[in-house]
Amino acid sequence: MQTQGIQLTAAVLLLAGSWAHAVEVPADVLFARKIQPLFKVKCLTCHGDDPEKLKGDLDMRTRAGLLKGGESEEPALVPGKAMASPLYLAVTRAHEDDWSAMPPKENDKLSDEQIGYIKEWITADAPWPDAKRVAAILKEADPWGETDGVMVKTSGGLDAGWTNRKYDPQKLWAYQPVSKPAVPAKGHPIDAFINARLPKGLAMAKHAGAVTLIRRVTYNLTGLPPTPKETFEFVAAWEKDPESAWVALIDRLLASPHYGEQMARHWLDVVRYADSAGFSNDYPRPHAWRYRDYVVRAFNADKPYDQFVREQIAGDELKPNDPDHLIATGFLRMGPWEHTAMSVAAVTRQQYLDDVVNSVGVTFLANELRCAKCHDHKFDPIPTKDFYRMQAVFGSLSFQDRKLPWQKNENLTGIKTDRERYLRLQKTKAIRSITTLPEDDRPVLVFDRESEKIGHGKVNRKRQQQLNYQLKRSNPLAFSVANGANDRIHILKGGSIESPQAAVSPGVLSLFAGSEKGASVTLENSGRRTELAQWIANKNNPLTARVIVNRVWQWHFGQAIAGNPNNFGGTGKQPTHPELLDWLAATFMEGGWSFKKLHRIILTSAAYQRAVAHPTPETMAKLDPNKTSYAVFTPRRLTAEELRDAMLAVSGELNRALGGIPAHPEINEEVAMQPRHIMGSVGPAYQADPKPAQRNRRTLYAERIRTLADPMLEVFNKPGPDVSCERRETATIAPQAFTLMNSPINHARALAFAARLEKEKPNNLNLQIVRAFQLTFQRQPSPAEMKFCRDHIAKSLAHHQVTVPVKVEPPKYVIRQMVEEMTGLDFWWVEDLDIYSGNEYVPDLKPWDAKPHTRALAELCLVLFNSNEFIYIY
Amino acid sequence: MNRREFIYGVNGGLGALAFHSMLRAEETKGPLAPKVAHFPQAKAKRCIFLYMAGGPSHIDTFDPKPKLRELHLQKFKRQSKFLSAMGSGERYYVQSPFNFRQAGQSGIDLCEHWEHLADVADELCVYRGCQAESINHPTANYHMNTGNRFGGDPAIGSWVTYGLGSENQDLPGFVVLPEVAYPQGGAANWSNGYLPPHYQGTTLRAKGSPILDLHPPKGVTRGQQRSNLDLLAQLNQSHAARRPGHTELSARMDSYELAYRMQMKVPGILDLGQEKETTREAYGLNEDRTKEFGRRLLLARRLLERGVRFVQAYTAGWDSHDYLGKSHSERIRSVDQPIAALLKDLKQRGMLDDTLVVWCGEFGRTPDNGKRGGGERLGRDHNKNAMPIFLAGGGVKKGHIIGATDEIGDTASEVAHPIRDFHITLLRLLGLDDNKLTYFHGGRFKQLSQTGGELIKELVA
Repeated sequence: MQTQGIQLTAAVLLLAGSWAHAVEVPADVLFARKIQPLFKVKCLTCHGDDPEKLKGDLDMRTRAGLLKGGESEEPALVPGKAMASPLYLAVTRAHEDDWSAMPPKENDKLSDEQIGYIKEWITADAPWPDAKRVAAILKEADPWGETDGVMVKTSGGLDAGWTNRKYDPQKLWAYQPVSKPAVPAKGHPIDAFINARLPKGLAMAKHAGAVTLIRRVTYNLTGLPPTPKETFEFVAAWEKDPESAWVALIDRLLASPHYGEQMARHWLDVVRYADSAGFSNDYPRPHAWRYRDYVVRAFNADKPYDQFVREQIAGDELKPNDPDHLIATGFLRMGPWEHTAMSVAAVTRQQYLDDVVNSVGVTFLANELRCAKCHDHKFDPIPTKDFYRMQAVFGSLSFQDRKLPWQKNENLTGIKTDRERYLRLQKTKAIRSITTLPEDDRPVLVFDRESEKIGHGKVNRKRQQQLNYQLKRSNPLAFSVANGANDRIHILKGGSIESPQAAVSPGVLSLFAGSEKGASVTLENSGRRTELAQWIANKNNPLTARVIVNRVWQWHFGQAIAGNPNNFGGTGKQPTHPELLDWLAATFMEGGWSFKKLHRIILTSAAYQRAVAHPTPETMAKLDPNKTSYAVFTPRRLTAEELRDAMLAVSGELNRALGGIPAHPEINEEVAMQPRHIMGSVGPAYQADPKPAQRNRRTLYAERIRTLADPMLEVFNKPGPDVSCERRETATIAPQAFTLMNSPINHARALAFAARLEKEKPNNLNLQIVRAFQLTFQRQPSPAEMKFCRDHIAKSLAHHQVTVPVKVEPPKYVIRQMVEEMTGLDFWWVEDLDIYSGNEYVPDLKPWDAKPHTRALAELCLVLFNSNEFIYIY
Repeated sequence: MNRREFIYGVNGGLGALAFHSMLRAEETKGPLAPKVAHFPQAKAKRCIFLYMAGGPSHIDTFDPKPKLRELHLQKFKRQSKFLSAMGSGERYYVQSPFNFRQAGQSGIDLCEHWEHLADVADELCVYRGCQAESINHPTANYHMNTGNRFGGDPAIGSWVTYGLGSENQDLPGFVVLPEVAYPQGGAANWSNGYLPPHYQGTTLRAKGSPILDLHPPKGVTRGQQRSNLDLLAQLNQSHAARRPGHTELSARMDSYELAYRMQMKVPGILDLGQEKETTREAYGLNEDRTKEFGRRLLLARRLLERGVRFVQAYTAGWDSHDYLGKSHSERIRSVDQPIAALLKDLKQRGMLDDTLVVWCGEFGRTPDNGKRGGGERLGRDHNKNAMPIFLAGGGVKKGHIIGATDEIGDTASEVAHPIRDFHITLLRLLGLDDNKLTYFHGGRFKQLSQTGGELIKELVA
């Protein structure tokens, strides 16, 4: 298998963007080379591919069809007269009163050049040579040569037009070999590359300063705030020797186990991690957590990225006896997937295959391969054949939950108690009739007993099913795959399994090798994935290293060098600093694909250490409106997880243990108790774990149920787990204020924070306020701030001294209601909440258990958690 | 004193907020600011989408099939390479347990349980041609709501709000009124997908706090909250002074303002006690069977009146695999009076002409059933090839039946269109062009219909 970038000559690259228009060619050559391929891509989807359903009755497959025209009953083509040809008038989009703009989608509109070709062809009497002649023309030398783009050899498209089409070389940047560019100046290479592209006349912002930097980098590498002690020590060291203090700080943070957690959070966004399967039943995936912890371990151990890739794609083939190699293959099952009695097995299998190929493409190659599922890729040199050849790589794959003993490096806390709990639940009758409640507590007194009987039966069966899944968690299994018999993979016309075409053999993307043969992998059912993995995790694959260093860059700067980290194809944003990207990719591979080395290089650059404020903002706005010059550092808002984790860290409640089975933090109680439809029933109510130390884990470990998002995380833009997320949204919306200001959960954080301050600085309000500012903002309050904080607490204290908090306890049971489908009538049941009604449950500190002073101080703490200074990182 | 100081001044917040509406005009430039439609002449300016989750049967609501009387309980097997467990095995036809009549001047076919809807039959445009692609509830729900069976894409309400903005900057542009239990597939049914989060459907919940954490925990007084907000404004102000040029700071300060306004306003909007008793009665609020859906529809009207662009109201339980007569008659009667009241109410207020009303589920039901637990059950399975839909209001043909299914209701046979065409048509009725309403994501400009489609001209007046 060949793996190397497509070869383009420098001369061609120079030509990009300066198309030569002056080529004189016979009109039949123009047709074969330009017009027919254009019709194919832009018109035939609606006007020919499906002759049964021609839009507007217009058939563009033949000249006769165009001469006949469509439902307007006028010819679409008048040979010799472009201005009289609706075909031409429609594509110009300038005659909409008479002829709707075509293609209809604004973003599909033809370029001026393409419109020019159509005009030229019509003016030359619109010749339409037969297929034989077209084939002959295509064999002749191309009169445009490479002046209008370059061809890319592949395994071949569904038709010759696609196979022979040309690409703007600029849009192929990611497929060209990675070469290590020379660093353009002395000093830090990153800064040299950035300076080289700095708009003329734009100054750089100054250094951010020690306090800003420790806050920036600590959140960046661990997702947690620096402690006052860490800040103090760093500032002291910085004052002695800034450079060595900075390097020592980076070393300390990279060695922190929380580093792996923070990087895993980024990675899990890309691979769509969740602890459940989604759709109708949203069944638990009881062992997905082992994959999540594998990712944390991989980053902490600085596992070389090439190995990380190989393990996730083919770990079971490579080292079937190594636990992490098996756990890693959980990646191949991360997407949402379900098969039910209402689905066709062949269809759900096909959905899986479509999904896994796309996921591999997006995750490692930054290419949405599913774009080539129904037709050859519209923009990139990826034929449909390649999509199905990649599917054939997975054709022998079957899901397997493999027996795999618990490992020494795994956190096994809670597995035993979890099992005991579910065994207990299996034995107890956790659903009962509402008639067991006192009359006053019943939602209704009269109801249809028949509906209740049928309904309770179903609910019980469904509950048993769920419990069985939960019980499985205590069996040491790996959420993994195995090779079985091979599915025969065919190209599917229009992506439909009802229209299989030619069978394909397994392979990888052919655009690098330039042929099907060069991009083939073994026909054996075992080893296909190994070869795919080796092709990806390869120094000669131009995409792999570029894709990951681009992601890492975004993890540091909030913006990527190539602006769509999941799309390096022609429609993705071009890199702002292509030489830098290549230098980083090459250096990353030279360094043995080590993440930690890469972080060190990036973090020691001046670019990373710059202030957010520009000395002359007007110049900045003018010369770099999109802020891509790195003349300033771009501030960012805390992510959803960082926000929750930081509040727990500041309040002193955070349990910093690593890994383990999913934790259950408190979430909004109404959402927790809200019925969640699963097929034929309602899913179990969400209950938080009984002990604060279990609940107050890092958010990474919170159970991720696809149909039950924690609303606080959701409003702060934690992405849904069904689609790969290349970059988090950070928009400000009003519900964020509701959550942060009003949620009882955040009030509890504030109260714990206040109690911590009182404990650490007893009986000294000034010191408590100073400490509060240090913990949240890494600085002392100004005298003015000190004054209005004191005033606020005094005012609040007066209020709390005369106010008795309203005690609210978690519910002991919840009443469910459903319509019984068989009768169309409502029925009810009572679901007992074993944790909240058991005696294990220990609440967090609550207002009714706190003194008035603590409550008054907590008002300040709540405001600090809501403040912009806390939530933004500079 | 600049405007911000004015609002966040020493008396910041509460008092000053009263002046905010005066300043609103200059502020409506945000993501929800009203926008000009692609087809400004379109009549419908807003939409209420009535979602019957579970898959209502066309054969037992709006599409009578007398042929099934002859075939009742006749046995057969379905032939296809691609059968689900549910679709295979011995099957038998099931006749509708209901009688039908033709209502209104236009003679719209209605089953006997549509008592009130008959009064407004001439406003309806019943569509029999729509076809889904999935027979699983969550994927079919995603398809009808987002155009993508696998979820993760923006909901139609998000697209419409993205395209038209909202007329009320104090309320969300897209509001969802779910049942206490969310439909299958959950909140992804009203997700903003890849559109910015301003376009996400905001649920006004049926029970408990209408918006999560709309109010502080029990026992926190308004005075204490006011005082906290004032301190927050002070801290944020001095912070902003140290961070000039960081524009997001003021947006975030504004969001606390908006949140506070919503906290004051939403409870009033939700208070159906402000409506006349006759109105409450008309919507069925005094009857057990109709009160839940009636409340949602009355609330929907109040929201639409206040400038909310898109409201979606859910009611579930249409998944009648058995006891069709009992279950479907119950479902129909629970929505019949509220829907009729809504249409009359909108008309009386002059809002029906510029409000698009949509009624549908995620798919229809089969003319036949399979054995379950050994017995012959009088119900219907899921059917993706035909489904019941009706439209009313702005820009829609009045008193028409468009399209048809075959003689047993197995599949749409006339004016048959996939869901994407239905979506394109709904957008067009609201003045939006699916081909222009696009957003760049994942390598291409995406749209509600996914890859385009065609207008169902027959539905448009």
